[in-house]
Amino acid sequence: MQRLLAFIEHNLHLILFVVLQVVCGFLIFSLNAFQQAAFTHSANAVTSSVNEVVTNVTDYLDLRYQNKELQYQLATQFANSSSGNMVYLNDTFKVKDTLNKPMFSMVPAQVIYNTVHRADNVFVINKGSLDGIKKNMGVISSQGLAGIVLKTSSKYSTVMSLLNTNMKVIPSIKGKEYFTELVWDNESPYYMKIIGLNKLEEIIEGDLITTGRSSLLFPSGIPIGTISKLKSKPNSQYFETRLKTSTDFRSLEYVFVIINQEKEAIEAILPANE
Amino acid sequence: MNRVLYWIVLIALQVFVFNHLEFSSYIMPQLFILLLITLPVHLSKHVQVLIAFGLGLIADFFVATPGIHASACLSLMVLRMGLLSRLDLKEQEANKLAFNARTVGIPSFMYTTIILVFFYHLYIFIIENLGAFNVLHVFLTTLLSSSFTLLLIGFVQYVSFNRLSE
Repeated sequence: MQRLLAFIEHNLHLILFVVLQVVCGFLIFSLNAFQQAAFTHSANAVTSSVNEVVTNVTDYLDLRYQNKELQYQLATQFANSSSGNMVYLNDTFKVKDTLNKPMFSMVPAQVIYNTVHRADNVFVINKGSLDGIKKNMGVISSQGLAGIVLKTSSKYSTVMSLLNTNMKVIPSIKGKEYFTELVWDNESPYYMKIIGLNKLEEIIEGDLITTGRSSLLFPSGIPIGTISKLKSKPNSQYFETRLKTSTDFRSLEYVFVIINQEKEAIEAILPANE
Repeated sequence: MNRVLYWIVLIALQVFVFNHLEFSSYIMPQLFILLLITLPVHLSKHVQVLIAFGLGLIADFFVATPGIHASACLSLMVLRMGLLSRLDLKEQEANKLAFNARTVGIPSFMYTTIILVFFYHLYIFIIENLGAFNVLHVFLTTLLSSSFTLLLIGFVQYVSFNRLSE
């Protein structure tokens, strides 16, 4: 017993090391994407104010470019819609569909924390459940698709970025839907790849990839990226496809959360397994 | 008192500046580990381990990576114990001095720091990228970030020396 106690006393630091390392291992490996988002949130309570201060400061450095981007976006939106289609309402844009009934509305938000260098990237925006944001809503930037909301608190939301190995989007090329998967392979924050595009399809480099009609999260036609490399391997029936994302995730700053007003109404009339 | 200020300044630098460097996705310097590298040698080993864990958790909180920095800090601390046990530090221990270029001499400090910094960056980048591992990416990120951190450490040591010797 004496010897045991002496041993423990002598090696207390190693025992502590092993125990704490196991705790870390639990934190790192047994949390799934959603639990990690939960951690991000508890972390947010402490640190989001700090990150917001940093964003407030860096905002000024980037203002000119971001303003240009916003102006450009507003200009194209006005050009594409007749004047009655857009109503400005308490910092929420409403985009009306052909029946003149709003289908999607967008909540503008600012990114206050963002990563691009991990395998599973997320970003945090400064709008939460008080602004009507719920889990599984789509998020776009002025350039294109950005991500899907993972978790919300009253004032902040964590969004799974397109640069996340858990993210799967169904691409639509030139108006045709392809039931393949668009995945990120953690090679560069600018590129993704599409798995399983058949060589018989009429696709060329430079084609625009957008969202289709198989998702209720996004309106169809939101750009995802353009095909930057299309290689046909001799011994495969599929193309090797790389695409450049429309959204530049390294300078992501202003995003819009898309709220589908008719989601519940549409889901109610879909077969149960959809 | 001076030491508390030093800790706060370094953690603030890490949180406000180095976590938000955006000029390259390959450069993610982790300057705050200098706090662990320069920890005084007279502290008992289990206190060193606890400090490493605490600091790691703080770092984790600001970048929302549950456990990665904490785990890396723990391993760094144990590796440091191993490296320091091969140096003769009785004098520093008796005088309760911090481990830095001034107290142990530049060669010993550089040797230990380079090993620890490379180890730390490699460790966190490997764990961060586990889902989709890309050897070249991890290797390059480690190399560039570590070099940048080492430059910063050199700078911080130089500045704090000059101030102290005045």
